[in-house]
Amino acid sequence: MKDPYEILGVQRNADEAAIRAAYRKLAKKHHPDVNPGKPDAAVRFGEISAANELLSDKEKRAKFDRGEIDAEGHEIHQQRQYYRDAPGAEQYGQAGPAGGFSQEDLEAFFSQHFGQAGQRSDWGASGRPRHGRDVQYALTVSFVDAAVGTTRRLALPDGKTLDVRIPPGTEDGHVLRLRGQGGPGYNGAAAGDALIEITVVPDPRFHRDGDDIVTDAKVTLKEAVLGASLEVPTIHGPVKLAVPAGSGTGTRLRLRGKGIRTGHQFVQLQVVVPPGDEPELAAFLKDWTPRANVNPREGS
Amino acid sequence: MMRLTAVVALFPDLRETEVLAWVERGWVRAAPTGEEWEFQDIDVSRVRLIRDLTHELAVQEETMPLVLSLLDQVYALRGQMRAVARAVEAQDEAVRAAILAAMRG
Repeated sequence: MKDPYEILGVQRNADEAAIRAAYRKLAKKHHPDVNPGKPDAAVRFGEISAANELLSDKEKRAKFDRGEIDAEGHEIHQQRQYYRDAPGAEQYGQAGPAGGFSQEDLEAFFSQHFGQAGQRSDWGASGRPRHGRDVQYALTVSFVDAAVGTTRRLALPDGKTLDVRIPPGTEDGHVLRLRGQGGPGYNGAAAGDALIEITVVPDPRFHRDGDDIVTDAKVTLKEAVLGASLEVPTIHGPVKLAVPAGSGTGTRLRLRGKGIRTGHQFVQLQVVVPPGDEPELAAFLKDWTPRANVNPREGS
Repeated sequence: MMRLTAVVALFPDLRETEVLAWVERGWVRAAPTGEEWEFQDIDVSRVRLIRDLTHELAVQEETMPLVLSLLDQVYALRGQMRAVARAVEAQDEAVRAAILAAMRG
């Protein structure tokens, strides 16, 4: 079996959420029952399941990382049954039974005469130039890496490596096309392309709004009233943010140029009243008459 | 032919109530016999598929009818295509060649 990290397209330090996200995305795509016309989907899905099985188990993953076990012992999904292989699936559809032609006959017939699904056939035209096959890969990157852009090394099945430049602002599900990095062409035709589907792992600190980044920052009551300087995370690293005196929950502060490309980061303040007993504060508020007596529940 | 308890026993993470709910929604067409349900091989495979979709792939419950409906249509179309393929295969060489030429445009 291949390296489970490569199969799922995650880095070796990927956390559980990243592994689960990568697994689900690939499994949805390659589950044999949603690919009844692709015999090799069962092998691919088996690899994906086995890789997930290994990496989602903390102990097994640690043992694998230390080199104590290899990936071989985990190919337990290869022998399982699939819905697509069970006879009688037509009974669930609206159309009645449609003859007893076996799946193999069908595959043989159509692949012989029409080539791969969706492609123009080369039947009867051997020796004609044929464009190489497109090959699909998957890569999982963190929210920050996708936002600022990064370069990742992809190991190809033939042992070569490919440096993939992930441009700033890449969105989840985006497919990068690397021309000429797919299967070889025949009879002088161009090679196919490598198609790399990017999975972006969400980051609880950041939300994306176009090229702007929106974050929340909690401030104490004192900081909100008196003003403060906070350190806040941005996708370009932590920066100091000046909170003006008299800020409140919902105050939106802009960090110019700290978004994606030319976007900005917006920090939304959330005022946290001190937990626990604060008798001095309570006593002060009891005697305090605000200079501007505003009822926040009435429209301004 | 299997009964509910035997089907559930195949999957460590499935409970009877969950499978029964699938039967009630018509996702799995087990046959009622007296007070029991009987599952054919295809129904057991169907349970395995729905378990994969819900437990492994996180397909949401409200999305499931759409997913199953599309899958069923794919399988039904493949059945019909097999019938067409068989009919074409049974023709003389000249007819087959003519059909293939027409299909390739």
